[in-house]
Amino acid sequence: MAVKAVMHIMERDIRYFFRFKWWVAGMVSMNLADLFIMAVVYTRMVNPNLVVNYFVFFAPGLTITALFAAAFMIGREVNMEIRRDIIHYMLSLPIKRWELAFGRVLAGSVRGLIYMSPLLLTTLAITYLYTSVFPSPLELFTIIFTLFLVAIGTSGLSISLALSTTSFEKYITMRGVVYYVLFFCSTVFYPMTLIQSSLPTPLVLIARYNPLSCGADLSRAFLLGTPPFSFWMLLDLGIFALFFALVAAFAYRRAMQK
Amino acid sequence: MAPIIRTVNLTKKFGSLVAVDHLNLEIEEGEIFGFLGPNGAGKTTTLLMLITVIKPTEGTAYVGPYDVTREPDKARTLIGMAFQEPKLLWVSTPWDVLDWHAKVCGLSSEERRKRVRWALEELGLWNERHKSIHGFSGGMRKRVEIAKILIQRPKIAIVDEPTAQIDIVGKHRIWNMIRALRDEGSTIILATNELYEADVLSDRVAIIHKGKLLVCDAPKKLKDSILGGDVIEVVLEKEVPSKIVEELKAINRIVDVLAVKPNCLKIYLNQAEEVLPRITEFFMKVHMPVKSIQMSEPSLDDVFVHYTGLTIEEAQKR
Repeated sequence: MAVKAVMHIMERDIRYFFRFKWWVAGMVSMNLADLFIMAVVYTRMVNPNLVVNYFVFFAPGLTITALFAAAFMIGREVNMEIRRDIIHYMLSLPIKRWELAFGRVLAGSVRGLIYMSPLLLTTLAITYLYTSVFPSPLELFTIIFTLFLVAIGTSGLSISLALSTTSFEKYITMRGVVYYVLFFCSTVFYPMTLIQSSLPTPLVLIARYNPLSCGADLSRAFLLGTPPFSFWMLLDLGIFALFFALVAAFAYRRAMQK
Repeated sequence: MAPIIRTVNLTKKFGSLVAVDHLNLEIEEGEIFGFLGPNGAGKTTTLLMLITVIKPTEGTAYVGPYDVTREPDKARTLIGMAFQEPKLLWVSTPWDVLDWHAKVCGLSSEERRKRVRWALEELGLWNERHKSIHGFSGGMRKRVEIAKILIQRPKIAIVDEPTAQIDIVGKHRIWNMIRALRDEGSTIILATNELYEADVLSDRVAIIHKGKLLVCDAPKKLKDSILGGDVIEVVLEKEVPSKIVEELKAINRIVDVLAVKPNCLKIYLNQAEEVLPRITEFFMKVHMPVKSIQMSEPSLDDVFVHYTGLTIEEAQKR
């Protein structure tokens, strides 16, 4: 029953996601446009001593950006459900709280992966075009697994934030703070060498252990060969995913206490 | 036989507000139990505690053998609820909402299709089954909400204000479906502020006001328990001074007089046929022309008035 219940919850959220398929298609197109505009503008502006080809460097970063934004969307829905008391219905269903929580975390991450897949394919094509390197099946699996961990952690994080407040304004503010901190202190847009030379030590530390940095750099490791693959980055992502999946489950349990 | 639901000093506080105050109730298996009270009386809060959506501040409740505070997951396997406000994602369609609900409740795919179709047809929503709920009226959304419980057929079915926003034909259809659900083996908890609905549907009624249980019994017994088994409603041409009310109370066999409106009195009495001529005579004597006079048996409204001193409309305003 546990697996079935989790699957049912996932089905609901994924169906809901596809009700906005034209909006999703529009957003993916915008992300792809961003990528190509970056390619034209920034590749010629960025110092080649720092990043040899910014277009190729940024493509995996943009994939992570899109994955993060899409996986974070589930939190907005959970918060809307709290405000409209739809959460009462979800909590009244004959399923366990942890089944509900994990179903939603997984649904959020699967939605992130679906949203991100055209961008990942574009990234693979671009890197192949510029470097003639295509990852092996094992490397490709590791990339997807890495992205899945990022998506789980992100989805869990957004649900936890959504369940912590009944105010939409507060949720949006928290989401904004999380976005800015995680993107600013990360290697999504610029390499670690630049961060180390320009940011204070605490921010460098955040950037190093930031799951977005780990996700982007692990993809780059297999697609561009730099930075090198690190098991610790994978472990970092595993901890991020597990921690926020558990926090989301705990938050759903706590939702009953109010 | 042990009751299927038992609340023991069930209490819920929101800050300094006591929404439910040491509620002790027992609901028998297979009955339609009316939970009657004005808006804000604590009915929905009690039901949300039974379905384990909110946690009691004090005391507990047993759903079947399960303590809602200790085994909420098990309690929820026995109970289902149709909410007062439809809890629906507005971009969904009735078919999707109900099919998914049935799936989560563990119905097989064949049974699911059968029951969803039946409920949609019975509630007049079959032609709208693939339309977005966003464009539905309040009554249509309410029917989708009710359909959930009719499809689920839980051992204990809670229906919170099931016919609010529903037209009179729809009301009767839903009442029949609630009765059919009971006949199939479900115990029904009917929360309502519609006295007539509670009267016609319930085997027993509990009246709750300001979070406290005032009385609980069969509707007939509650009505019979009021001193002065008959009620005469008198509408006068002008406002009634309180002095007249007091004088009226002094007439033999009149038990109580309540001014429901400035020019309308409800007189609770015994042997109305004998006292009625004396009442008309009295009004003539005090020069208070009578517009209309009506004799009836007490209703649950009168029971509510008897126990709270307020009509349900007045209680709602407060």
